[in-house]
Amino acid sequence: METPVPESPDGEPPGGYTPPPHQPLIWGLLGTVALLVVAGTTMRLAQNPDAPRPANVLRALPDDGKATLADEPEMDDEYDPCSDCHEDEETNFTVREMDEEHDELEFKHGTTWCLDCHDIEDRDYLHLAGGTKVDFDDTSTLCGQCHGAKIPDWKAGIHGKRTGHWRGDKTYQPCISCHDPHVPGFEPVKPEAPPERPTLIGAEDHHAPEAAEVDAPEKGAGDE
Amino acid sequence: MNFIKGFFGFTVGSLRVVLKGTGAYYAWMALLFVLMAVGGAAYLAQFSEGLGVTNLKDQLSWGFYIGNFAFLVGVAAAAVVLVIPAYVYGWKPTKEVVLLGELMAVAAIVMCMLFVTVDVGRPEMVWHMMPFIGTPNFPFSMLTWDVLVLSAYLAVNLFVVTYLTYTSYLGRPYNARLVLPIVFLSIPLAIGIHTVTAFLFVALPARPFWHGAILAPRFIASAFCSGPALLLLIFMVLRKVGAFKIRDEALVKVGELMAYAMAVNLFLLGTEVFKELYYPTAHSIHAEFQWFGIEEHGGGHHVGLAAWAWMALSFNLTAFVLLAVPAFRHKTSLLTLGCVLAFCGVYIEKGMGLLLPGMTPGVLGEIYEYAPSATEIAVGVGIWGTGALLFTLMVKVTMAINDGEFRRKSPA
Amino acid sequence: MSSDSKRASRREFFKVLGAGAATAAVTAPTAALGFDLDTFFQKHFRRMDDDELQAVIERKAAEYAKTYGKEFTVKATPAYEDVLFGYGLDISRCIGCRRCVHACVEENNQSRDPEIQWIRVLEFERESAIRGIDLEAGNPYYDPETVPQKDKFYMPIACMQCEDSPCTNVCPTGATWRSNDGIVVIDYDWCIGCRYCMAACPYGARHFNWKEPTLPADEVNTNIHLLGNAPRKKGVVEKCHWCIHRTREGKYPACLEACPVGARKFGNLLDPDSEIRQIMATKRTFVLKSELGTNPKFFYFFGGAER
Repeated sequence: METPVPESPDGEPPGGYTPPPHQPLIWGLLGTVALLVVAGTTMRLAQNPDAPRPANVLRALPDDGKATLADEPEMDDEYDPCSDCHEDEETNFTVREMDEEHDELEFKHGTTWCLDCHDIEDRDYLHLAGGTKVDFDDTSTLCGQCHGAKIPDWKAGIHGKRTGHWRGDKTYQPCISCHDPHVPGFEPVKPEAPPERPTLIGAEDHHAPEAAEVDAPEKGAGDE
Repeated sequence: MNFIKGFFGFTVGSLRVVLKGTGAYYAWMALLFVLMAVGGAAYLAQFSEGLGVTNLKDQLSWGFYIGNFAFLVGVAAAAVVLVIPAYVYGWKPTKEVVLLGELMAVAAIVMCMLFVTVDVGRPEMVWHMMPFIGTPNFPFSMLTWDVLVLSAYLAVNLFVVTYLTYTSYLGRPYNARLVLPIVFLSIPLAIGIHTVTAFLFVALPARPFWHGAILAPRFIASAFCSGPALLLLIFMVLRKVGAFKIRDEALVKVGELMAYAMAVNLFLLGTEVFKELYYPTAHSIHAEFQWFGIEEHGGGHHVGLAAWAWMALSFNLTAFVLLAVPAFRHKTSLLTLGCVLAFCGVYIEKGMGLLLPGMTPGVLGEIYEYAPSATEIAVGVGIWGTGALLFTLMVKVTMAINDGEFRRKSPA
Repeated sequence: MSSDSKRASRREFFKVLGAGAATAAVTAPTAALGFDLDTFFQKHFRRMDDDELQAVIERKAAEYAKTYGKEFTVKATPAYEDVLFGYGLDISRCIGCRRCVHACVEENNQSRDPEIQWIRVLEFERESAIRGIDLEAGNPYYDPETVPQKDKFYMPIACMQCEDSPCTNVCPTGATWRSNDGIVVIDYDWCIGCRYCMAACPYGARHFNWKEPTLPADEVNTNIHLLGNAPRKKGVVEKCHWCIHRTREGKYPACLEACPVGARKFGNLLDPDSEIRQIMATKRTFVLKSELGTNPKFFYFFGGAER
């Protein structure tokens, strides 16, 4: 609507302000659409594994160039990509044991359960507590969220196994290379054979397995 | 030229002397040859197969051979020290006492060197340790010192013995100004060889049983028991076979000196016992193993050495009493018994009684109850036989010269 | 030590492939007598000049090729400059599986019979550590179904490469010495087998060839260093040398790569960025028998367990 502009004595508008000419409505609509497209694309790009991501969100543990992080272990084809099944599924927020799908999975990870790590909306990602998505090829970032005390040791090579060269190329492992994320604790292993005991020539080894089988505490030395 | 001809005659003549003797002499020599043959065969097996024919292991890498070596260094050292009382107390025959002492020293040193040679993994490479042709780790390695002083001691004694014997053979008086300084040089050398041998063990902080300054004085004290004991026994044997005359008084005097040495030996043992028992630390486990045996964690009681340790102690105590009490000392039979007990007691205490507790438990706490294998014992017996043979041969020649039987025939 | 650095400046990467039959023909005449003069009169490693060392390398490569029927790479790689090796062992991680023990045996051509193992793993009950780590209480012969056993911890022990090593002090021939990079090496051809070093070592790290070693040809490692994993003979002492044939080329030792739980750490103590320096800076480290003053370069530490 038109604002009556008071006439000034010398013909200039008061305050030096000249209102812009009318814009057609179409430009406003196009601008809004463009803005939405850009916003949407940015958000979508942020979720695309192949596109560059903001460093402070998903790559919290940059390579310092001293050692190469090995690739993540391969995911089982049967479950990859997760969204194949989960896209259309409704999320069941009840903390429970899996007794239908994923029931073969052993789970022993403290007091956590699936959705504490697996993203609620998009199962092709993991997530941090605040909702930030974490990629499956960057799982250590997620581990570091709770086990952050381990991260400096891991980056320095004090925690975890390194292979290669003490001087030159060396490789360190993502957390889940050694710690199954569902059962992170190590299972005991069978030890390799003990060393031979020294015995006098011609004497029998009274610590030999046959003697140790007799389960008496006073027999043998530490075989129990 | 004359000298060379003379020495040639001396050598040939000596051979003739040693090939003639009484029935007992032949029997003795036959026995020694048998022992040497047994030892030689055993050593051949060891040389070809390796030291695995012994019962030594990584956990206990020094045993029977080095134990004998340590004991015999003491015998070698003490043999010569009788020189001092021989002069101080004006013994007649002083010269014979000195000579026999030196002969025993030579034989003992040869046995020491043999025991070390059979203990080494690659004896053909021992030249690696010699100066100029090898690279001896001198002055850091006590073993290089030991080789040095033992060789010097052997050289000194061999020289004195050869010189005295040869001049007697020639019927000439010996040059006291040449010989006596060297004889007196052999005395500090004697203390030196045994101290250096003790230092071989003291130098190892990894072995707390050995890592104590008292080991060197203990070595000397026990040497002064074992060396003279053997020498006295030899004197008595020679006197019996008529090869050598020495008065009872001289023997008794040596016995008295041995009593003092045994007293010191027992006192030093007492000081060690106090240290271990007053406030036992982890290091006391070696002494505990030696005297009482120990329980292994998880069961298994190891008593291996206790019987030997107490036996050696009782021998030493008995010997002390027999030698210290004049009434006992003056009885030849008891003096003999005292000498035998002292010799055996020190042999156990300073041979295996030094080596085994030192290495049991091992540095990682492991207990391996070592006992020498048949091969080891055979080799050891062979070496003792060799030493005895060498000594017998030298004594035979010396005695023959002394009696005037074996003299250089003057050219016509 | 100076000869080591001279060598280092003269030949930086010294590696020779064995010649084979041609060289063997030269040594055949005396060898036929069962006695090789070249071998008998071989000089001390540190006294050899470049040509002599080269000749030794070629001779040995030929000998090994003849004995094992394989081509060997025989090296005498000198130490890197400005390197002092250190080793870390995380005893909160070691599970006592002994994979390191056997990886070492294979990598370093140790005798299978009689059995020689350079690494010894001791099992301790946690309770026993109340009085401090008492080696008397350690058991190297544990053989349970699985490890780690509850309420037990494990400590592997091998040569500590001591800075003030008692063993190098007592060796009468100088056959063992401490290299510029800290590794205590043995010239196997110079050792006379007196075993004084074994009496002197507080850690039981040295082992003797009581018999001729047995090394099956199909298990032999042909990549060898003269002062390291070269096949030995009876009558000589041997021990861990931190895989000198690997570490002097920048690689990790075999035991470190074998450890399934990453308990082993290795690197250059003079490099502040190395894992081992970071461990020294951030963890509580200790050495065994520190009161003896051996100044070991093998450090035990606690990486920290979650439990």
